[in-house]
Amino acid sequence: MMTTFTLIWITLPLFVGFGIYLLPKLARVLAVAVSLISLAYGLWHVVYAEPMAVTLIDSFGVSLLVDQLSGFFVLTNAVVTAAVVLYCWSSGKSAFFYTQAIILHGSVNSVFICADLISVYVALEVIGIAAFLLIAYPRTDRAVWVGLRYLFVSNTAMLFYLLGAALVYQANRSFAFDALTGAPAEAIALIFLGLLSKGGIFVSGLWLPPTHGESESPVSALLSGVVVKTGVFPMVRFALLLPEFDPLVRFFGVATALFGVGFAVFAKDTKRVLAFHTVSQLGFVLAAPAVGGFYALTHGLVKSALFLTVGKLPSRDIKSLKKNPIPTSLWIALAIASFSISGFPLLSGFGAKVLTTKNLLPWQVIGMNIAALGTAISFAKFIFLPHTLSSQDQAKKVPGTGFWLAMAVLLGGLVFANIFYYEAYTLSNTVKPLVTIALGWLMYLLLFQRVSVKIPRVAERFDHLIGAMSLTLTFLFWMVLA
Amino acid sequence: MFTLEALILVTVFCGFFGIILKKNLMMKIISMDVMSTGVITFYVLVATSTGFMTPIALPERGVSVDSAIVDSAITDYADPVPQAVILTAIVIGFSIQALMLVGVMKLSRDNPTLECSEIERSNT
Repeated sequence: MMTTFTLIWITLPLFVGFGIYLLPKLARVLAVAVSLISLAYGLWHVVYAEPMAVTLIDSFGVSLLVDQLSGFFVLTNAVVTAAVVLYCWSSGKSAFFYTQAIILHGSVNSVFICADLISVYVALEVIGIAAFLLIAYPRTDRAVWVGLRYLFVSNTAMLFYLLGAALVYQANRSFAFDALTGAPAEAIALIFLGLLSKGGIFVSGLWLPPTHGESESPVSALLSGVVVKTGVFPMVRFALLLPEFDPLVRFFGVATALFGVGFAVFAKDTKRVLAFHTVSQLGFVLAAPAVGGFYALTHGLVKSALFLTVGKLPSRDIKSLKKNPIPTSLWIALAIASFSISGFPLLSGFGAKVLTTKNLLPWQVIGMNIAALGTAISFAKFIFLPHTLSSQDQAKKVPGTGFWLAMAVLLGGLVFANIFYYEAYTLSNTVKPLVTIALGWLMYLLLFQRVSVKIPRVAERFDHLIGAMSLTLTFLFWMVLA
Repeated sequence: MFTLEALILVTVFCGFFGIILKKNLMMKIISMDVMSTGVITFYVLVATSTGFMTPIALPERGVSVDSAIVDSAITDYADPVPQAVILTAIVIGFSIQALMLVGVMKLSRDNPTLECSEIERSNT
């Protein structure tokens, strides 16, 4: 019964996606309906955490595994997609946009429930295509180039992944996740290279800031909110299913948390701050795989809310935003999201941070605390932006109902998600994030606000992105052997 | 077997370094195709590790569909699983390439040389 329902749910977005093209008038309604169904499905698995494992057809068939972890990721996907559709409601986007958004939604969902290497490969490639079409939607040269770069990096990474999957099959005659146990080191290095590049982790994540920074805000929100998590999810799954990968995944968690935040602190462009910060936050998901689902949910909600809000600001440059006050209503949305991501109590970012901190290993603690401090510093940039209550010309800049509905869904979700981990609210838990935030603000006001460091963007050039893959591959191989 | 495997890996890396070293966007896409051909061939090679025969039960091969396998039956069948899997990957690969070429066509209007560094400079 549950299996049939899962199968209907997973294929529904594909049918509806193409159906939208036939019924363009109903595009937005259908898109919201599909995400609501996913929302119900995700909630069901989060609340009634009964794992469900299915193999379709026979031993070589597609294997699925749905548990609480998948539930959290599916929930993230559902809420973010719904919010993005609401945001675009009156923007005059064509049916093509919604078709791609819903196909993306469906393929992202399927990564979260697949339990074999090849199904994950297929889903990741479909995501790559759908994301490319969304990025290139404006049809400008710039958009096409950014999308092409993304597709190129992602496809090259997936070729390495495919090679790794073949080696796993050669060793164990199976594509299931647990076949990785006896696989040779090079197979594991190749598969991780594919997933690290797709998920935007550590050095392989340098493609992410230009891509997420240059796309339109709703697309950035989708990419940063859910799409990158599809690269991360299989690694979290490996770490949980196969204990021998746990140290490797945790290591990349800490490394990318520090790496991303290091760039985010010095970035001067709002969208690039957010994009680098995504690289860092994915580290928090990986650093404590057992509770990564909840962190992914809070991060997905916050990051898409931030991208949507920042897209409505008059400028992307923080310096010019400091000179021209922004409307207070936008500032409130920005501040709520920034508070959540810094781990301020009352918002679920707090619960997620506490839960992750509790599941860290001793050697991770220092690194992750520095990353949390860096988060507070980089979001102080948004919190301390000047703002005014509506004067005549400001009133025009305040966005319409669609935007506020999306904010209500995302920020409301942040408050609502507190119930998943209400045990976090004890005195000792509350003090630490407050101290971190205070320290971060202090450092921002005294130091980081004044310094201006320009980090060269040379490593983000296309050739270097592909070249970095070979270095990462060597590094991974050495790590797996060690 | 070992030589074949080595040659296939050489193909993959030729493609990979082509992506890095070629300046022209079109050549980069062709290099990616070379790389993907290498990966596909590797799957075919993995499939032949048990034999070359088509995995279909036929009476003249000593296998009858109704009864159990006869003693003299041919057992060196190729493994159908990697072949089935790679068929999906081939389809995905060529659709991605088609999509990329459409993108390149669009870009070539304003960047007729299709030089990657030029396109990057004018679009970032």
